[in-house]
Amino acid sequence: MRQPSADERPLIRIRRRDTAAVAALGAIVILLFWMFGELGFVETLVAIATIAGLSTFYYLTVSTTLNPARGPDVDDSAPAPVDPQARAQHMLDSLPIPVLLIGAGGRIELANPAAREFLGLGSAAGHLSAVLRQPQVLEAVSTALRGQAVDPVEYSMMAPVESHVRAFVASLRAEDDRVMPWRAMLVLSDETSIKRADRMRADFLANASHELRTPLASLAGFIETLRGHARDDSEARERFLGIMFDQTERMQRLINDLLSLSRVEMDEHVPPSSETDLSALVEDARDYLRPQLEEKAIRLTVRKPASAPAIGDRDQLMEVLLNLIENAIKYSPEGSAVQIEIAGPLMRDEAERPELVLGAQASRLTLAAPASEPRERYFAVRIRDEGKGIERRNLPRLSERFYRVDGQKSGPKEGTGLGLAIVKHIVNRHRGGFTVESAPGEGSVFSVFLPVPAAVRERARESV
Amino acid sequence: MALSKTAHIVTAYGEELDQLADELARMGGMVETQLETALAAIVRRDASLVAGVREREKQVNAMQDDVEKRVLRLFALRQPLATDLRMTISALKIASDLERVGDLAKNIAYRAEDLAEYAPLSLLDQVERLGAIVVKQLHEVLDALSSADVEPAIRVWRTDDEVDERYNALVRQMLMSMTEDPGQVEPGVHILFVAKNLERIGDHATNVAEAVHFMVTAGPLEADDAKS
Repeated sequence: MRQPSADERPLIRIRRRDTAAVAALGAIVILLFWMFGELGFVETLVAIATIAGLSTFYYLTVSTTLNPARGPDVDDSAPAPVDPQARAQHMLDSLPIPVLLIGAGGRIELANPAAREFLGLGSAAGHLSAVLRQPQVLEAVSTALRGQAVDPVEYSMMAPVESHVRAFVASLRAEDDRVMPWRAMLVLSDETSIKRADRMRADFLANASHELRTPLASLAGFIETLRGHARDDSEARERFLGIMFDQTERMQRLINDLLSLSRVEMDEHVPPSSETDLSALVEDARDYLRPQLEEKAIRLTVRKPASAPAIGDRDQLMEVLLNLIENAIKYSPEGSAVQIEIAGPLMRDEAERPELVLGAQASRLTLAAPASEPRERYFAVRIRDEGKGIERRNLPRLSERFYRVDGQKSGPKEGTGLGLAIVKHIVNRHRGGFTVESAPGEGSVFSVFLPVPAAVRERARESV
Repeated sequence: MALSKTAHIVTAYGEELDQLADELARMGGMVETQLETALAAIVRRDASLVAGVREREKQVNAMQDDVEKRVLRLFALRQPLATDLRMTISALKIASDLERVGDLAKNIAYRAEDLAEYAPLSLLDQVERLGAIVVKQLHEVLDALSSADVEPAIRVWRTDDEVDERYNALVRQMLMSMTEDPGQVEPGVHILFVAKNLERIGDHATNVAEAVHFMVTAGPLEADDAKS
């Protein structure tokens, strides 16, 4: 059974309109003649009636010849057959791989949900160049639109997150379009993890060997001394063994930190999906660090709401808190105070740039910031200590690996220089932010802000 | 681009504005790739990448000419008004800024050839970090241009201080290591130029941010405005 195709119906409508227009014009002309006295009253009536009759006849003839099957028997009530096209569409929609169809002029004609998510595409489809500016890809698409075969292209982006993507472009012929017969299909595949794993291994080796060399050298030195002239000196032996133990402990800490850093980096571009209550987490962290707090007689005050849910991996967020609080304890003088405050849900700017609390000398720097997402709301955790503070010029390098603010020796009790790097990478993974405010002599405030779950965000917006 | 989404009575006009936006986005992508390649050439000490950057430079120049021609044509034939006027004017400004960025990227790439002759410097990782920020700035501002969004543009405008800060820190350290070891002077000078060029690119990114801001809001981007 053939359904009336879409282009026949408008045709009838056009005929109907034309017929009515001609009939009306004729009637007006006849009326004018009558008004000027050219025709008698009866002749006018007869002429108008004739025109009306002829037009009706003409209209009926046209409509039946154009569309003879028009009638109640061609109805849409018949059960629709399973449409292979709908099935294909469904498959395309559930495909986890980004697929796009690019039409003439580089316009996006079709994009599956995976592609929309991958490219951050809104509902309105525009030019491909508005969302994907990579020249190699655009060139490949242009070539495909001319109907030529193209090899897959690879591209990498350094911002906002480093990523490496391989793009396959194929040209498709659209049968129904004679003027612009070619379309291009673009399939993207994310190869970031592969490339990243490669580079990570190289980095890890370089860093680790560099940092392990110092304690190893000192170990070797002591062993040599113990074998040599200190062989029979029991007092020296005890002292040396103590130092050697410290050194091995340091190496162990370093290796643990390096491992956790590389683990975090591996899934930096896979955002976490679970939810964690920051308020409860801070409590746990406090319990965990109680011995260190007592050792230096540091008062820890916490100001927090009853619950502060954030999107995040509990273990990783715990690592963030432990690192920051441990740092605060480490760099605080004995008997001073450390304050922790949780605030939120905040807008991006409120979270990133709160009022400076350390006075006029304070400077602030953002060490990690999420891509801008105006709808997002954040919970911020601020940890304030009363330590020596950090000079402005040292702030930018704080989250670098193995960077230590000058004057800090990497002695047995000191950190590995990886803590803040770990924090930064975890925060990056959580699509959150990490800022520091510091004033020499006043202390420092390290802040981390993390996106809240969508449900909480909506509630917060309603209550505003 | 959001601006061209407003339908015009003359569809060809809307089409032309669309194409202008498209050309500008392509140019942006080209420049971005140039900068990334140039940085890779420096950081990975790979002088073979330089030829690609130079090749793109020619394309970028051609694109700038093309954008200018399109703008001229729009003015002559369509007399754009309001949003369209601001968009065309901004396109002109942005294209010239992007062209400069392309030039600077090319200069950076040339330094890679010279630097490859020296032993790797310990400061390279800082250059990489400065470069990463500048790349991010450029990326965000081009995103802002594509989506006609002011907020990221303001953010870029504000973050320029950070670029300057890192640049200053790098120069200071480079000078220090140059005084300690005269052997570092020659490669050090190249590094200083690379850093300077990166800092300049950061400035051009803020220029683009200002142009985007003007295009969307019709007002200049000012300090008090950025804080709100």
